[in-house]
Amino acid sequence: MTDPQFEEILRGHLPFLPADEPLTPDTNLTDHGLDSLGIVDLLTALEGQYGVAFVDDALTRETFETVGSLWSVLDGLRPAAV
Amino acid sequence: MDTAFVFPGMGPSRFPEVGRFMVGNPIARRLLRRADEVLGYSVVDRFADADTDYDEAAQVAFLVNCLALAEWAQQHLDEVPAVCTGASFGQKTVAGYTGALSFEDTVLLTARLARVLDDYFRTEHTDIVTQSFVRVPDDRLEPVLAELTARGEWYEFACHLDAGFHMVNLRQSAVDWFVTRLRSVGGLPLYAMRPPMHSSLFTGLHATVRDEILPEFTFADPAVPIVSDQTGELLTTADQVRTLVLDGFVRPVRWPDAVATLRDRSVGKVLVVGQDAMFGRVECVVRSFEVVAVNPRLAMQPRRQPVPAGR
Repeated sequence: MTDPQFEEILRGHLPFLPADEPLTPDTNLTDHGLDSLGIVDLLTALEGQYGVAFVDDALTRETFETVGSLWSVLDGLRPAAV
Repeated sequence: MDTAFVFPGMGPSRFPEVGRFMVGNPIARRLLRRADEVLGYSVVDRFADADTDYDEAAQVAFLVNCLALAEWAQQHLDEVPAVCTGASFGQKTVAGYTGALSFEDTVLLTARLARVLDDYFRTEHTDIVTQSFVRVPDDRLEPVLAELTARGEWYEFACHLDAGFHMVNLRQSAVDWFVTRLRSVGGLPLYAMRPPMHSSLFTGLHATVRDEILPEFTFADPAVPIVSDQTGELLTTADQVRTLVLDGFVRPVRWPDAVATLRDRSVGKVLVVGQDAMFGRVECVVRSFEVVAVNPRLAMQPRRQPVPAGR
């Protein structure tokens, strides 16, 4: 569903996620330590890695609820593959 | 290089997050017993049952936890500050830590102010909230605020936290438009807080605190200089500390100014003493200092016992 860079970046922003616990689409980000300033850092990292800009509805709280919701928004921001 | 103690503003804090520290840490237990005597109720019991984030007992618990952590840091990290500061709620904590107020008076003042705030905002400025947001540099924020004004809306900065990171007071009815507009320029809205804080509109609250609350308390010169979170000035007298606490109701927090003063004072290490998700983590702080988060989690970690000499 996701890609390795996404998972690596995300894990770096989830301080309460054990290294051996797999990320699933339902993994709750807040429960694993992603707070407001963590979201800011995460956004900067994702924007730098993927060359996208989070704006408008991509910046609602729902985006950052789960691994799946964040990936879905990020994937939608990326240019379509040709 | 000197060390500074930074007492953070209060964020939402629930009993399960800090309860283990409050009942398990001997310093916290001792201070809580004293707080219970002052207030005539169990802070732990009432905090555990609190149904709002900023309940009176939650505020007292936050205060006591910060002061207990400061004492713990002195004992276990061997740190003594050359200068202190407190952000927003932390103004009261720093007054207590530096001895500008006695512990008992700091607890009592915190509880009295919590009640006065509750009463005031129950009937006054019922439509105003404090909205926080981040990722909005000035060149993007200025047009948004100009549009807000053009729509006939009032706003006022409540808190400058860092570059692109602010809190603004505005009417609840304007919040949906405001946060949508912030998102359109890449901003991340955080929370709309009620009761609101730090506004020149709250003169009635300021007068009540000045005339009915503060005359019951005697301030002393602080044992350690305090940096004002409103101006960045260095405060060394009882009257200055009293004014700091009083004016916090009507003046915005200018956190980068306080941070700049710490830098100018040759501070190299900052201990952020208390539960904090904001003031000790913003770029202007982490870029400037070695930052140690002295929170309940750190204090409850098992610590290695010193090895007796000769072994």
